[in-house]
Amino acid sequence: MNNYAVKVEHISKIYELKNKNNQYKKDKKRFYALKDVSFEIQKGDVVGILGTNGSGKSTLSLVLAGISDIDSGSVHVNGEQALISINTGLNQQLTGLENIRVKGALMGLKKKRIDEIIDDVANFAELGDFLYQPVKKYSSGMKSRLGFSISLALNPDIFIVDEALSVGDKGFAKKCMDRMMQLRDDEGKTIFFVSHSLSQVMNFCKTGMWIEGGVLREIGDINQVCDHYAEYVESLNALKGKEKQKVLDEKFEKRLLPAQKKKKIFSLFN
Amino acid sequence: MFKSVQYVIKENFSNLYRIYCIAKYELLADMRDSKFGILWNFASPAIQVFTYWLIFGVAWNRKPIKVDGIVVSYLPWLIVGYSAWWFIQPCVQNGCTAIFSKINVITKMKFPVSVLPATVCAKEMFNHGCMLIIAFITLLLCGYFPNIHWLGIIYYAFCAFMFAEAVSLILSVLTMLYRDIRKLVKSLIRMFMYFSPVIWECHFASHIPFHNVLNMIMKLNPAYYIISGYRDSIFYGKTFLDHPALTLYFWGVVLILFVIGCMLMYKFKKKFIDLI
Repeated sequence: MNNYAVKVEHISKIYELKNKNNQYKKDKKRFYALKDVSFEIQKGDVVGILGTNGSGKSTLSLVLAGISDIDSGSVHVNGEQALISINTGLNQQLTGLENIRVKGALMGLKKKRIDEIIDDVANFAELGDFLYQPVKKYSSGMKSRLGFSISLALNPDIFIVDEALSVGDKGFAKKCMDRMMQLRDDEGKTIFFVSHSLSQVMNFCKTGMWIEGGVLREIGDINQVCDHYAEYVESLNALKGKEKQKVLDEKFEKRLLPAQKKKKIFSLFN
Repeated sequence: MFKSVQYVIKENFSNLYRIYCIAKYELLADMRDSKFGILWNFASPAIQVFTYWLIFGVAWNRKPIKVDGIVVSYLPWLIVGYSAWWFIQPCVQNGCTAIFSKINVITKMKFPVSVLPATVCAKEMFNHGCMLIIAFITLLLCGYFPNIHWLGIIYYAFCAFMFAEAVSLILSVLTMLYRDIRKLVKSLIRMFMYFSPVIWECHFASHIPFHNVLNMIMKLNPAYYIISGYRDSIFYGKTFLDHPALTLYFWGVVLILFVIGCMLMYKFKKKFIDLI
């Protein structure tokens, strides 16, 4: 019985670098955004993805969401996955109410479903009469509230939340967390949770995944991974300017790989 | 090849509501942006046609156009042709940026990218409707009254839609690969207008050398079929059955363009995010 939600085998993602002196040329070097990452996540698991800036967390979440393609390896997803993105698809000129329809349609909801959710979303977003104002007049917190509320109308098997819950004031953040907990506990969804807030991750997730420099450093129990990650961050912070730079340079150096001729459009008919 | 065509067609048809919503709310947002809103959807083509009529019709004193013994004065002749062009031109031009302008959406959520060219065409279809209303009013004022042949416009509008869809499928993907395409198309589309029978008949008189060859070349332009089709329906009472060869040629071209567009779309559907 395959009970996995996501199975990732040796995936790598490579970006091309631009030449330092000439932006029109490609550099000889290429860069691993993800390097040989493998893991398997069971259904109903809640995974917290940790890592310093630029370590490949967002790339991984894009790959998991099926938005981005990988250069090698394979991803098996059992069920439907959706990336929760807050401010995407909101139109500045339209009112909040119209935006529920716009974003709902962008996410691929049917007309009937949108009619169903429209009241729930309006309630959850707590916008009051601002619902009838154009979104350009909203504060950034209000925008995020509206965006997040609409996103929740999706009902996929696998949620991927990339830095999405650090929006709004404390009250709304708690409401979002409660909703996510509800998804986790009552509906048994698989959730990938990317966040820099260690306490949030520790509270919410069961499994921890630490990505560093595009490589999977550790995967396992959340508390253990969080501890190791916190240690690492502290040790990095303790380093003096030059030493830190050296460590970072070494990390960058490891992610480079030599150039390769890449075909673009000409390989269409192969 | 068949897989890619099947993929694009399936994705488009299973997302009809999405296409409709995107087109509708983009138009609405456009209108909200300005004070007079929908008025501009009528005013801007009207001003364009008025300009061409003023220069070519009045200032250069174009004679009424005579085809097969039917004489049509310049203003109604121009406005019918221009209403077809008012659909093709923005479709091709905006079709280039169909994917590029939605980059913030396709990088942030799972989105069927291949529906984007269709949203652009659907949006322009509305503007086309506005333009047709202007054209019909002008025709009534000039003394042309609706008859059964006018229904041919529906067929030619469908032709125009398919042509625009096929072209914008290709151009939208190419723009993602090479951003230069957008600028190239923007410059070429003007030239293209003068090689289409919008403001002149695209017919070289017999005193010009090689006029037969030149006239043939002019007919190779798919826009020629659409624009002259609009005029055939309204003024000359002809249907597409009167030009079997041209009809076959047109659909052949559209089919080839569409297949190429589908193949490009299928090939790059997951790569767009890395092509920003």
